[in-house]
Amino acid sequence: MAKQYEIPIGAQHISLLEPLHFKFTTENEKIVNTEANVFYVHRGIEQACVTKFKFRQVSFVVGRVCGLCSISHSTAYSQVAEKLLKIDIPIRAKYLRMLVIELDRIHSHLLCLSHVAENSGFEALFMKTMQYREFSMELLEAVCGNRIQYDFAIVGGVSRDLKPEVGQTILKRLKTFMPQLEEIVDIFKTNWTLSLKNKGAGIINKEMVYRLNAVGPFARAAGVPIDVRNETEDLLPWKEVGFEVVTETSGDVYARNLVRLKELYVSIRIIENIINGLPESALITETKAFPEGEATVRLEAPRGELFYYAKGNKTQVLERLKIKAPTFSNVAAMRAAFEGNEYASAPAIIASYDPCLSCTAR
Amino acid sequence: MKTFFKALGNVFKKPVTTKYPFEQTYKPDDYRGLIGFEESLCIWCRRCEAVCPPGAIVFSQDMEGKQTYHYNRAVCIYCTECVRACPKEGAIFQTAEPAPCALKEENINNGWNKLFAEAIESRELYAAEKKKKAAEKAAADKAAAVAKKAAEEGNKEG
Ligand code: SF4
Ligand code: SF4
Repeated sequence: MAKQYEIPIGAQHISLLEPLHFKFTTENEKIVNTEANVFYVHRGIEQACVTKFKFRQVSFVVGRVCGLCSISHSTAYSQVAEKLLKIDIPIRAKYLRMLVIELDRIHSHLLCLSHVAENSGFEALFMKTMQYREFSMELLEAVCGNRIQYDFAIVGGVSRDLKPEVGQTILKRLKTFMPQLEEIVDIFKTNWTLSLKNKGAGIINKEMVYRLNAVGPFARAAGVPIDVRNETEDLLPWKEVGFEVVTETSGDVYARNLVRLKELYVSIRIIENIINGLPESALITETKAFPEGEATVRLEAPRGELFYYAKGNKTQVLERLKIKAPTFSNVAAMRAAFEGNEYASAPAIIASYDPCLSCTAR
Repeated sequence: MKTFFKALGNVFKKPVTTKYPFEQTYKPDDYRGLIGFEESLCIWCRRCEAVCPPGAIVFSQDMEGKQTYHYNRAVCIYCTECVRACPKEGAIFQTAEPAPCALKEENINNGWNKLFAEAIESRELYAAEKKKKAAEKAAADKAAAVAKKAAEEGNKEG
């Protein structure tokens, strides 16, 4: 056996986006084992939600679990609370929720792609992707009134309406974004330097996805069509607005990039369909009921399946709230995917997981 | 190669960034900014205080029952929940103005915690005072009624 070295990365490291700690055991530059420690940013949000806040306020609290998929959290919580209250929300509110989720997916995927480029050593592409991403932040600001914490989905519906002129701006900006997206896709697909770092790195295959329970773009890159938008229709009508599942086969960093890029096209199509066919109705269902019973909800966040469980006991404050974030499901597969890779590829592989530790540790 | 020429072309392009404090960045008209309050319209129902998730609004009360509105822009998360809860349109509203930075002199965290506790206490004091007054008044009324009854009975007998 060759001599083994242990190399830590994190919890503070220049190539990490979040406080995440990996301990690699390497043998001649090859990674043979990985340990992951993901709970550095535990903030006790679940406990706060069932002690300090009333159930209507919780949708604002969980919106602050994560900066990137704020809307996924508040939507998932609102849905679970609506199940407990046994109410159905107006159709326009459903469409607007989908609109913001998809806009959010655009900005989250572009952020991840830019970090993959940066961690593979392609700083210029990082800058370019970030520059093109700015439009999605501005659109989100125009729709929700804030760049990051949207506070858009509230229990019973949505908090703001979409103004027709904002809808037109979105369509216009998406049109100008199209050629920019093609440009990025072209670079990610054909750039030789990037392919050296991305192709064949961090491979995960179908069998591993099933065994280790991976979700999101991570699983879809290995050819497993796991997508909540594809599976349930009862809460948000995804098929109606033209959703299609995107998969790749090779399961490496390159495939994950491609899945994200192709999902941008799907998101753009969904947004256009929503704005062109936005139904008229009220925005919110008012009710004086209190949450009762138990319910679960699944929602496709940018990183994969987000799971919420809540239990109410007919009072203002919930009895239990459980959040399972997509990165949490992916940790086992993340460890496995490092095996057999060069240590030098590790940063790019980490970025391609798109880990969100604030969600995981809550 | 194409990328190389593109990169070369970029040297002659204008920067895409904005020189922030000197130039205004993009801001929509209905940006979620500071919360404003119009005292003359308020009916002092305290619903905005009850719904506010972080507790950025609190009402204090003096001994005459007059309430005062306090708001902390650093605690506020600009969620607009107070505006939605208000039964009186225009009493509390959201402006598009971003919050200014907090200064050290303002003592915005500890000062606010103290103010918050004092406000709640002042309301409790007022409520206790009111209860005491009401009890005194009830006792006085009762005494008066007893006296009146006694006087009436005395009249009858006499
Ligand atoms: S906007 Fe939200 S956080 Fe701010 S005062 Fe109103 S309810 Fe409270
Ligand atoms: S909810 Fe409106 S009316 Fe009631 S106390 Fe607040 S500002 Fe005044």
